[in-house]
Amino acid sequence: MSITKLDQMFDALRSKDKKRLVGAYTVDSHSIGAISKAIDLGIVDATLIGDIDLIKATCQEEKIDINKFEIIDEKVVKKAAQKACLFIREGKGDLIMKGLLDTATYMRALLNKETGLVPKGSMLSHMTVIEIPSYEKLLVVSDVAIIPLPDLKQKIAITNNVIKTCRDLKIENPKISILASSESATDKISANADAAVITKMAERGQIKGALVDGPLSLDLSIDQEAVAIKGFKSPVAGQADGIVFPNIESGNVFYKTVTKLVKAELAAMVVGASCPAILSSRGDTEQTKLYSIALAALSV
Amino acid sequence: MITKLDQMVDQVKNLNKKFRIAVAYAQDSNTIGAISKAINDGFIEAIMIGHAEKIKAVAKEAGIDHDIFKIVDVKDEIASIAKAVEMVRNDEADVLMKGLCGTDKFLRGVIDKEKGLLPPKATMTYVCALEIPKYHKLLFVTDTAVLPFPDLKQKTAMLNYSVAMARRFGIETPKVALISAAEKVSPHFESHSDYTQLCMMAKRGQIKNCIVDGPLDIFLACDQESVKIKGVPTPINGDADVLLFPSLEACNSFYKGQMLWAGAELAGLIQGTIKPVVVMSRSESPKSKYYCIALACLMV
Repeated sequence: MSITKLDQMFDALRSKDKKRLVGAYTVDSHSIGAISKAIDLGIVDATLIGDIDLIKATCQEEKIDINKFEIIDEKVVKKAAQKACLFIREGKGDLIMKGLLDTATYMRALLNKETGLVPKGSMLSHMTVIEIPSYEKLLVVSDVAIIPLPDLKQKIAITNNVIKTCRDLKIENPKISILASSESATDKISANADAAVITKMAERGQIKGALVDGPLSLDLSIDQEAVAIKGFKSPVAGQADGIVFPNIESGNVFYKTVTKLVKAELAAMVVGASCPAILSSRGDTEQTKLYSIALAALSV
Repeated sequence: MITKLDQMVDQVKNLNKKFRIAVAYAQDSNTIGAISKAINDGFIEAIMIGHAEKIKAVAKEAGIDHDIFKIVDVKDEIASIAKAVEMVRNDEADVLMKGLCGTDKFLRGVIDKEKGLLPPKATMTYVCALEIPKYHKLLFVTDTAVLPFPDLKQKTAMLNYSVAMARRFGIETPKVALISAAEKVSPHFESHSDYTQLCMMAKRGQIKNCIVDGPLDIFLACDQESVKIKGVPTPINGDADVLLFPSLEACNSFYKGQMLWAGAELAGLIQGTIKPVVVMSRSESPKSKYYCIALACLMV
């Protein structure tokens, strides 16, 4: 049965092998708190790479038993990120998580040609899974954080990654909307033009494992009532499991709007590296980080 | 539903009308031959504009009584084209037809902004109805003659004109195949991006009254057996009514190949003009020339 609430990820993980999380400079209370909970839930074991003094202090402050982690002392932030990548490369970890360091430093470590985690020709993209109180299921959206203006080739890769993430969430034949401002076919707007190409590729079996339709507007993607009023016929419309946004602005505004204004919860990760990478922002809550760990663990 | 060009002629005859055809620079034996047959079959009357003495001489040589048509003496090539176009514009004739004049000069007269037959912003293109002995029905192909490299707007016009013509033949919902070398969508083919837009336009109801799919190769478009073997689900299903080609060269070569080796006959017509315009190649068979005249009458 497909996962329809973020909490259900924990149940789904129970039947899977425990994964090892590698924390890149995870010394702050939100990161350590989330990892600690994930350990308590039996989802992961964890290796924290960072300043041991800071880790100790945080654990003390948060009353967390430090012995549940393996700790590797590395006081230099950049080196901690690099070591975390090496750990994964050596097969000693299944997923990597960003701690108290700049996104740029973390991404540079992932992308480093010699010591990083991104295979040649692979493309990183960001997956966000949102639980919106008024929507009956989870929504996988992309790319809201990494690729500013994906071209057709990148959109195809993002579509495939969204499909994979939906399937990780046990959604059998996910419904994917390729978003635009309207459902009309036109070559005057690249969002609409690319959407038509991707839809046809799915029809031809060049994109597999999902029902794909686009261009679709946001209301036609997720609002059955709008679909009914417009008399619109589509296997995806009104019940999308995944949305591929035409650019980072539209995706970013969408996820921030739903999380800030309608109290949606979310989980997020970066895919395309040799293992899922958690890239939560420093502002994310412990709960979001915990969900992100669960999502990454599910997708391994 | 009309499946043979002779049935099209019968239908025109059954209209019990005499369509008035204005022939520009008419002193051409091929043209006079086809016109006289249509006159004898009772569905047209002809106004031959050109060098009066030469028209009479050509008719005499072909054993045709020149009294069966009206002759308007205009000796100059350009002036005779202008006169013929004017007569059609003024509703003194229903159909315009090219005689011995150059195709370039003739079409220049047709597209003249003030005195021509093409509405502003209209796309002029060419649609042929092909009767191929081995195919179970007529096949409408476009564009064999006018647009070298049609863009999306022009392809949309080509599609709409072909569908309108096929519907005149009693094919209520024509199946339109967008022709390429294979059915997989590839960014390497410029036509594929247009094709995916056309498919989406049909899906979204921006193009009506037809079923559209492409890219498809000729086999998937016209041969059910190939569809079965390749296992490509397509609503065209080897039963195409219309083939839309990516370029004039491709379409022109296709129809000429059918004429040369497969015993095909054709009826073709300029599209986009306010009244039907007949332009025939000198290499076409007398039968095809006659069919072109009948088609023009059907499309009045």
